[in-house]
Amino acid sequence: MGFELNRFQGDVDEELICPICSGVLEDPLQAPTCEHAFCKSCITEWISRQPTCPVDRQNVTSAQLRQVPRILRNLLSRLCIHCDNAPYGCTRVLKLDSLQNHLEECEFNPKRPLPCEQGCGLIIPKDELKDHNCVKELRSLIHTQQQKIDDFHKDLAEQRFVINEQKREMQLLKEFIRAIRISNPSMRAIADAMERDEVLRWSNTLQRARVNRWGGMISTPDEVLQRMIRRTLTEIGCPPHILDDLMENCHERRWPPGLCSLETRQNNRRQYENYVCKRVPGKQAVVVLACDNTHMGEDMMVEPGLVMIFAHGIE
Amino acid sequence: MANIAAQRIKREFKEVIKSEEVAKCAIRVELLNDTFTELKGEIAGPPDTPYEGGTFVLEIKVPETYPFNPPKVRFVTKIWHPNISSVTGAICLDILKDQWAAAMTLRTVLLSLQALLSAAEPDDPQDAVVAKQYKENNEMFQITARHWTNVYAGGPNINKDCDDKIRRLADMGIEEHQARVALSSYDWELERATEQLFS
Repeated sequence: MGFELNRFQGDVDEELICPICSGVLEDPLQAPTCEHAFCKSCITEWISRQPTCPVDRQNVTSAQLRQVPRILRNLLSRLCIHCDNAPYGCTRVLKLDSLQNHLEECEFNPKRPLPCEQGCGLIIPKDELKDHNCVKELRSLIHTQQQKIDDFHKDLAEQRFVINEQKREMQLLKEFIRAIRISNPSMRAIADAMERDEVLRWSNTLQRARVNRWGGMISTPDEVLQRMIRRTLTEIGCPPHILDDLMENCHERRWPPGLCSLETRQNNRRQYENYVCKRVPGKQAVVVLACDNTHMGEDMMVEPGLVMIFAHGIE
Repeated sequence: MANIAAQRIKREFKEVIKSEEVAKCAIRVELLNDTFTELKGEIAGPPDTPYEGGTFVLEIKVPETYPFNPPKVRFVTKIWHPNISSVTGAICLDILKDQWAAAMTLRTVLLSLQALLSAAEPDDPQDAVVAKQYKENNEMFQITARHWTNVYAGGPNINKDCDDKIRRLADMGIEEHQARVALSSYDWELERATEQLFS
């Protein structure tokens, strides 16, 4: 919709008036052949109802609307208009093309955002400043925040539920796959490959460990120690199909020939440095996975890997 | 009322007041309320027509969506014309319906209505009885239209014959306007009008 005529200084030529709103043309566009000009918003509204020129009814579509000639735009931009905020005390009279810039900073704009100076720091439209009450505003702010938090909590609970459901389903699927694998040999090969991948993926999530004192190795850990390490391995996502075997392999009775007695261990001491060890977070223990240690000799490694528990010396 | 509609009507109102047609007393507009939603229009019957000398009052209602939709216009003054209902004053004119264009104004609407009085469209009638008479007995149509203009629109041409016939029916207890409608519809044949009124 165009600018009201009575906001302008002096007479405005009839050619600069929008035939639809009868105001002074705002963002004018013209029809292609007859060249009648209208405000952009006016002609768009009209064409949405009827694709014709409102003056002479020639067919026009919105795609055919064109920009008006430069001379018309220049004539418009030279018109002098009173600021929109004249009713609020602004006395500025501006060229039409600088009106927009002025409006953005006009201090008489009743909606100009100002920070509250009484302490709450909220940004409020100027005309609402005098009725502004910090406590009330902040209270309503807290209220809405609280609502949001509640919503998030609800969301969170739902998500947790969904995750648990999915975990359960995954477990079922794994059981199912295991069952299929047992009954079908080719499935067994696929499943074995999948399990190997799973171990590799898990291994990649673990950090490399450095063993400073191989001498601190506990070759016969007790039940309590074993349970603790087992719990931690579960927590860091150890694939369940290797968990039992891995934990079995934390005792020297299951270790490979090269490690199984104090004597062989002493003989092979120099090979220890070649092990690729992974940290068990927060514990003086490392996981030595077979898939990480294919370079080690057969007498130094067992499937699916070893757990070595130390008294100290792990970084 | 939407800002654009009010702005338009304000300006059009001034346009009509300043127009030369007002100077010649051909058209007039009056505001009926402060919100520019209802206006009263007046048009003079055009010369060399049966409506000459009459003044016709129009009811103009401006919709919220003006000027994207046409104003709703109706004759308040009773008139005998093929495109205007002799009963309700409803007008059949394309620019007040699907041929409306947003650049049209109160002034152009009033002038179009005046033009409609000069040039009826009997093939696109609003009042079938009038349209039939217009086509089949144009002389009688002229008489009737002129008589209605005299009675309802202050036209100067008194038709003694018509007045007499109406008085004769009125003497029988028929209301005057009802008598006029009946006589007008039956080409002023007293017998057929009476028959219709008492059947």
